[in-house]
Amino acid sequence: MIVLSDYLILAAILFALSVAGIFINRKNVLILLMCIELMLLAVNINFVAFSHFLNDIAGQVFVFFILTVAAAEAAIGLAILVVLFRNRRTINVEDLGSLKG
Amino acid sequence: MNLPGTQDYLAALPEIVVATLACIVLLIDLWSNDRERLLTWLATQFTLLVGIVLIIVQLSTDVTYAFAGTYVKDILSDVLKLFIFIGAGVAFLYMREYLRIHNEMKGEYFTLGLFAVLGMMVLASASHMITLYLGLELLSLSLYALVAMRRDSAQSAEAAMKYFMLGAIASGMLLYGMSMIYGATGSLDLREVADAVAQARSDDLILIFGLVFIVAGIAFKLGAVPFHMWAPDVYQGAPTAVTLFLATVPKLAAFAMLMRLLVDGLGPLHDQWQGMLIILAVLSMAIGNLVAIAQENIRRMLAYSTISHVGFLLLGVLSGTDQGYAAALFYTVVYMIMGLGAFGVLVMLGRAGFEADRLSDIKGLNQRSPWLAGVMLVMMFSMAGVPPFLGFWAKFAVLQEVVAVGLVWLAVAAVVFSIIGAFYYLRIVKLIYFDEAEEQAPIRGSSPMRVMVSSNGLVVLLFGLFPAPLLGICIAVFTRIELVIG
Amino acid sequence: MGIEKFLFYFFAAILLVAATLVITVRNPVRAALSLVLAFFASAALWMLLEAEFLALVLVLVYVGAVMVLFLFVVMMIDIDLAQVKEGFSRMLPAGIAVAVGLVVVMAVVVGPEHFGLEGFGEVPRHGADYNNTRELGMALFTTFVYPFELAALILLVAIVAAIALTLRRRPGTRHQNPAEQVAVNAAERVRVVKMAAEPRDDAPVPTAEPGESKEEPR
Repeated sequence: MIVLSDYLILAAILFALSVAGIFINRKNVLILLMCIELMLLAVNINFVAFSHFLNDIAGQVFVFFILTVAAAEAAIGLAILVVLFRNRRTINVEDLGSLKG
Repeated sequence: MNLPGTQDYLAALPEIVVATLACIVLLIDLWSNDRERLLTWLATQFTLLVGIVLIIVQLSTDVTYAFAGTYVKDILSDVLKLFIFIGAGVAFLYMREYLRIHNEMKGEYFTLGLFAVLGMMVLASASHMITLYLGLELLSLSLYALVAMRRDSAQSAEAAMKYFMLGAIASGMLLYGMSMIYGATGSLDLREVADAVAQARSDDLILIFGLVFIVAGIAFKLGAVPFHMWAPDVYQGAPTAVTLFLATVPKLAAFAMLMRLLVDGLGPLHDQWQGMLIILAVLSMAIGNLVAIAQENIRRMLAYSTISHVGFLLLGVLSGTDQGYAAALFYTVVYMIMGLGAFGVLVMLGRAGFEADRLSDIKGLNQRSPWLAGVMLVMMFSMAGVPPFLGFWAKFAVLQEVVAVGLVWLAVAAVVFSIIGAFYYLRIVKLIYFDEAEEQAPIRGSSPMRVMVSSNGLVVLLFGLFPAPLLGICIAVFTRIELVIG
Repeated sequence: MGIEKFLFYFFAAILLVAATLVITVRNPVRAALSLVLAFFASAALWMLLEAEFLALVLVLVYVGAVMVLFLFVVMMIDIDLAQVKEGFSRMLPAGIAVAVGLVVVMAVVVGPEHFGLEGFGEVPRHGADYNNTRELGMALFTTFVYPFELAALILLVAIVAAIALTLRRRPGTRHQNPAEQVAVNAAERVRVVKMAAEPRDDAPVPTAEPGESKEEPR
């Protein structure tokens, strides 16, 4: 039988993969954006699973809003990406050296 | 059935009116042909004014929950919103001057700014994790776009990209933490979460696990070390007018988020989050003050200075007492006033296509404009915590509360780091007064701008001499909450 | 192995493989398509969790709109793949270490010990008359009406921001005018002109064999 912890561990692995992806693909902004989508997907799986096993609709409502916000976020992120590309002709983050910490 | 009624709409009237007016401002801007965007700007300020009036009319110590517990109106939310309106009003005034000087007037600066203000209001009144998240995103998305608004500047786009990436990752972490809290308590309503947490064992692994993610997410948004990487780049890369907005007013929203999530929601876990906040606070004060010394760019320096101020803010919150929260609120408000003043002076020093943000740009400012030099002097002394300026009282209030809960070593460390920090503030004063000006261009500025910057300096000076009214408001906020609960 | 267990492991495996592909594939188009696969797999998992509406929304809105936007941007800007590739293998060990560490810690916390069979085992399935969309809609428009309005404002901000950041009016570009397109009538569209046929002086003499013709009729 599939219990709650199975879904949670699946989400945890997905979350870890997205964090690893952020580490590995530090240079490619597009892949970074996709890693963020993966991270939100992991969170959403958590919420849907909790919502099902707690028999509480609020978790699903939260997922609904996270999906909405993620769509808005993707739109703005890609808009910034386009602005960046128009100016720099690159999306390679390490080329972006004009601001140094 | 939880259909909203008149009560709900009345409680949330400020948000509803500001949202409506923000949409009207958007339409006004769309159809106005004015290159100066005067009408957009006036409508924006009018919106803030209406907000202030609505808050004052409804100001009360009652705690009202509306919209099935997703919205709360209490004295804390009222006072926070008041300060947000005032801070945003001043910031928009500086912003208009900046956009005029640099010839980049665009209405979106004000409309997106208004939506950011709305996001902060939502955060201040959030009593449900969904509301809190949506308020945070409304604020963040507006700020990402504002940072990138100078479309022809590679530097701005780059800063916006970094801000966006780290902000989105922070949101992801915060959400993961929230999902854990939801799983452990079975609710997203912060009141119910608090009840459930109070009954749970204090060493509940899942709660602490969720808490770690939530604190990391908040620290990102606050810009506390070790989650501060975005701050210097964004402060330097964004147009100064945007920097002055995002560096000052949203700190009030971040404070609101801390209060709502950690105190209202996870208050019973105070012992756990106190330890985490201590680490963040010490690191922020240390890194902020030490790295600021090495900066050649004033905006970068102010970014690290902000990081150290965030450390102080956390000190007040981590004390876990009402007096501590009041001190933290006082510190946040004082920081906002000082930050607005310091960035306001930087705005006045700029010229079309030129940001005055290198240390050499302010050399000998006293020879060019003794009055502006005086304002900057007041701001720097205040930020350094030199008595009798306002910043001193803020630091004093926070340290007092930290000592009161027995964390004397933490207070000592904070004082040591402040003294180290005083060095770079005083270096600016030295540059202004004792160095030869490299630049002789006269400093212009519209009369509203001059009046505002002067009164900003005057406020720091006057409240420094008589801090009681401002501090009194902050203390009243928390003691009255106590009365209502008890 | 019951059918539910089989479905869970089947789609979970697809999800994880797809997610791994997203973070390791160097070609952004392939990464985006892998992400689409990941969304489909999780939509199936959400069906298992009786969240039918969200599963459909994930496919329709997420795959249908957001991922298409991603692909659109990927195609629009040409990425120097060679540049993006470098440094990948250098960071790989660190990435794997982070992932493994995180999974171990997280699995301990969210593992069967806390969210296992007892307490979170079988939940009674809803009957055939249960309507997930209706339940969600009832919650959205009563209890969560305030967040719902806020979500609308967030979308408005996204629209304003995206337009303000990327809209450029270049002089000399040709635009469609939808109003004119709609207002056009049949008489204006096509005008048939009668004229006598004239032989062209430079008309090419058809010498090529019919089979060799490269131009296919459309």
